[in-house]
Amino acid sequence: MNSLLKVTKTEIVLFFRDKTTVFWTFLFPVIMIWLFGSMFGDQKINGLSYSSVYIPSWIAVNIMTVSFFTLGTVLANYREKGILRRYQLTPIKPWKILAAHTIQGAVIFGISAIVIFLFGYFFYDLQLPAYIGSTFGALLLSLICFFPFGLLMTSLAKDTKSAAAISSLLLNLMLFLSGATFPLEVMPQVLQYVAKILPLYYVVELLRATWNTSPLWDNGVDVLVLFLIGVASIFLSTKFFRWSGQKV
Amino acid sequence: MDSVITVKQLRKQYGDVDAVKDVSFSVGKGEIFGIIGPNGAGKTTTIEILEGIRKRDGGEVQVLGMDPEKNRRNLNARIGVQFQSTAIQEKIKVKEALDLFSSFYPNNDNLGDLIEKLGLDEKMDVYFEDLSGGWKQRVTLALATLHSPEIVFLDEPSMGLDPQARRDLWDIIHYLRDRGSTIIVTTHYMEEAEKLCDRIAMIYGGKLEALGEPKQLLEDLATKYLSFYSRDADENILSRLPGVISLENTEGHYRIMTEQLQRTSYHLFKEGEERNWTIEGFQFERGTLDDLFVHLLHKEETA
Repeated sequence: MNSLLKVTKTEIVLFFRDKTTVFWTFLFPVIMIWLFGSMFGDQKINGLSYSSVYIPSWIAVNIMTVSFFTLGTVLANYREKGILRRYQLTPIKPWKILAAHTIQGAVIFGISAIVIFLFGYFFYDLQLPAYIGSTFGALLLSLICFFPFGLLMTSLAKDTKSAAAISSLLLNLMLFLSGATFPLEVMPQVLQYVAKILPLYYVVELLRATWNTSPLWDNGVDVLVLFLIGVASIFLSTKFFRWSGQKV
Repeated sequence: MDSVITVKQLRKQYGDVDAVKDVSFSVGKGEIFGIIGPNGAGKTTTIEILEGIRKRDGGEVQVLGMDPEKNRRNLNARIGVQFQSTAIQEKIKVKEALDLFSSFYPNNDNLGDLIEKLGLDEKMDVYFEDLSGGWKQRVTLALATLHSPEIVFLDEPSMGLDPQARRDLWDIIHYLRDRGSTIIVTTHYMEEAEKLCDRIAMIYGGKLEALGEPKQLLEDLATKYLSFYSRDADENILSRLPGVISLENTEGHYRIMTEQLQRTSYHLFKEGEERNWTIEGFQFERGTLDDLFVHLLHKEETA
């Protein structure tokens, strides 16, 4: 089998052997949707149901979870342990290692998105997205924006511990301040401005819009912001990505 | 013998510190070549420059006729490497790791033999993190050699292994050599270098201190030992006997390093007779690489 596929397959298998990340990626969002669901009840949010506003946003949160933890922290750990360096001394081309991890991340995210969707579909009357092509486009754009962003964040970290710390900090910050879980309207004006600096805000906006009200091309600002973050993070992550924690 | 590795005037600095200073040596095809020295001597730096993952600051290096810094990609298919701290993914099973690394190389026909030789059959379904140090070592050794590389680089392979596991490792290293690989191994265990290596380069403080066959180096050193037990010998008199270089006394067990075994012995017994010392268990000892090493270190400090 091709070495790219082999690395990808191995990493997917390894993901499922780590019970902690499986919990945070698959079970945590479902539990949170259930908890928030019992808070919101049948209340309408800007004329929309709870599930059609908040389930897309949990899918958005998971893009971030996967890019920070499944991709970034794992690669920081591989770098610290010398696993990436070990790969450097085999004939496999370096881009294949990064591609394998990216594909693995996309697969894991895909599965988690399906789990969240099905949970919403069966228990919270979640409808299929109104602009389904746009929703897929929005997801793809968000992955392109967040995956290298996650790599960049963890490349700047010295070791696994600090990578996990950076990831947790950003995850929590965005979880609560981007409007993904708590409605921004109830927050002070200052925090509403803060939300707009956080990349997740735009992912949440775009996913909610394409799921319920308008296609991709009617949300030019969100698309443009995500596109620019994507370009910047790809540029920066190729510049800063390191294979080894040691000096050469 | 054809040389597969040539190193000339190799230099490497970390900031202001010289990690490797003007080291030159060459390694012949089929040799087990040891790079030995204490921790921080520059062994790992040297071996990593040969592997191509560390840049040198000066000198020439040729591995299989190539400059490792410029041709690492080509070289990777023909060399095998085991790092000092052996790490692969923790939750990977042994068979998955072998399968993964096999997919990187076009040729791994000898994998079956290797698995048998290393006794890995029984561990195929075990997670890497659950293996003991010795077994982890075997797995990473298998990953480093499954493509029958022309040169195998082993950085401190016996670190942390118990004596039995270390002996097994030597056995495996001989097997790899008999299969056609040249072996470069670093170690700080002198006994290992003596028993395992055809030739050694002794590095201390980044400098090459000695190079050659272990046996030859010991003979050239021309230092011999005599040892005995005595409860009443006088250390001051002993140390002034003709030919004595140094003297160790552990609770009445004396070990004397001398340039002239016969002469020192003669004077030892002469003094003993005159002063009524009891001398028991007298014997001549050959020096070991450990002694050679301490001697070089001593020379370095007094220079």
